[in-house]
Amino acid sequence: MASSTELAHQGANHHGHAAHDADDGNVHVHIAPAPFYWGIFGALVCLTIVTVGVSYFDFGNANTFIAIVIATIKAALVATFFMHLRHDKLFHTLAFLSAFLFLSIFLLMTADDLWKRGQVDDAYGTKTFVPTGEIAPGGMPSAAPAPSASNSEHKEDRQGPQTPAPGHH
Amino acid sequence: MANVTSTVDATLPHDDGHGDDHAHAHLPFMQHHFDTPAQQFDASKLGMWIFIATEILMFGGLFVAYGIFRNLDDEVFKEAHLYLNKQMGALNTIVLLFSSLTAALSVRSAQLGKRNATSAYLVITILCACAFLVVKYFEYHHKFEDGLLPGHCFGHPWFGDACLTAGSPGSHPIAIHGEHGLPALTPRANMFFGLYFIMTGLHGVHVVIGMSILIWVLIKNIKGHFSPAYFTHVDLGALYWHLVDLVWIYLFPLLYLVG
Repeated sequence: MASSTELAHQGANHHGHAAHDADDGNVHVHIAPAPFYWGIFGALVCLTIVTVGVSYFDFGNANTFIAIVIATIKAALVATFFMHLRHDKLFHTLAFLSAFLFLSIFLLMTADDLWKRGQVDDAYGTKTFVPTGEIAPGGMPSAAPAPSASNSEHKEDRQGPQTPAPGHH
Repeated sequence: MANVTSTVDATLPHDDGHGDDHAHAHLPFMQHHFDTPAQQFDASKLGMWIFIATEILMFGGLFVAYGIFRNLDDEVFKEAHLYLNKQMGALNTIVLLFSSLTAALSVRSAQLGKRNATSAYLVITILCACAFLVVKYFEYHHKFEDGLLPGHCFGHPWFGDACLTAGSPGSHPIAIHGEHGLPALTPRANMFFGLYFIMTGLHGVHVVIGMSILIWVLIKNIKGHFSPAYFTHVDLGALYWHLVDLVWIYLFPLLYLVG
């Protein structure tokens, strides 16, 4: 392996004696061979072609799902190999993934808030938010001929009893 | 931990032929508050990863906004995204992926002490960043001409009259009319283009910053600051560049390839 000899060479640097283990205070890193990086790049390009290709077909809501799955695979490849997380400290991976953990909390709580607006709270029998039908300052009415009707129909079809359009109730 | 062992070692008698200061006393890159090069490197790298996490959270706010508003107006998003140029987006994706490859290879060369190869890969990475921005410029320019800039001239009733008089008589912005065989957009598409410009704009700012960092790293590399024992700047600069790539990996399908 070219990489292991290179690593040994690097470990010998500054000391003039055979490489210690990682405890000698010097920087030790895993060095992957160049063709390996090219291989990762090839995989990333292939996945890009796939995701663009998929976008020309209509799979309904699955399109977005497929796109996000492919993007996540690509991101994982970049983070694992280009960003060296594979051979890095586990704590760096945890720091990286923690961002996505907090992001998902952010998204879920915001979505939860949105989905439950105008819904009857079973425990208290009150609505969590009473739509007034007014347009908020700076807000825009839809340009569609029958805005509230058509929009709320879309929403009912797509996601069930969630997020009534303003003025629907 | 490497540094702990080394520090403990330093207090103990040595018989291996070099003193306890071997790791740093004569190394120009060592800062006085670190015990060993490895400790210095680890500290830098941990800081970089924490920073990357905060960057993800900053972009994350926009991604959450995207998720929420797309959920509210899925049909509008699907119509509006047709105004983006899928080919140009895909081209920019490939450019960024390739620049990520060359950034990774520049780190590899730095780790091996191949200074010229490191410089060459850094130059290619920087050129790719320029290519990305050029493509982005053409995309933005086209959107501006189509009147797709959010707010003003985007069908908002408050601005409607101003836009009608600005162009030739009776010429609405293309966004409202739906030309080139594209569906006419409602003013609600404003939100899609708002997110498009802010997300790609913030990403573009990161491209410029990443480019600047890589130029700085390139200059330091040409001056011979780095060696296999010390290549922190190359490593962290490349990490930043990979972050730019990561963000685009999600931006591209979410904006250009809406189902």
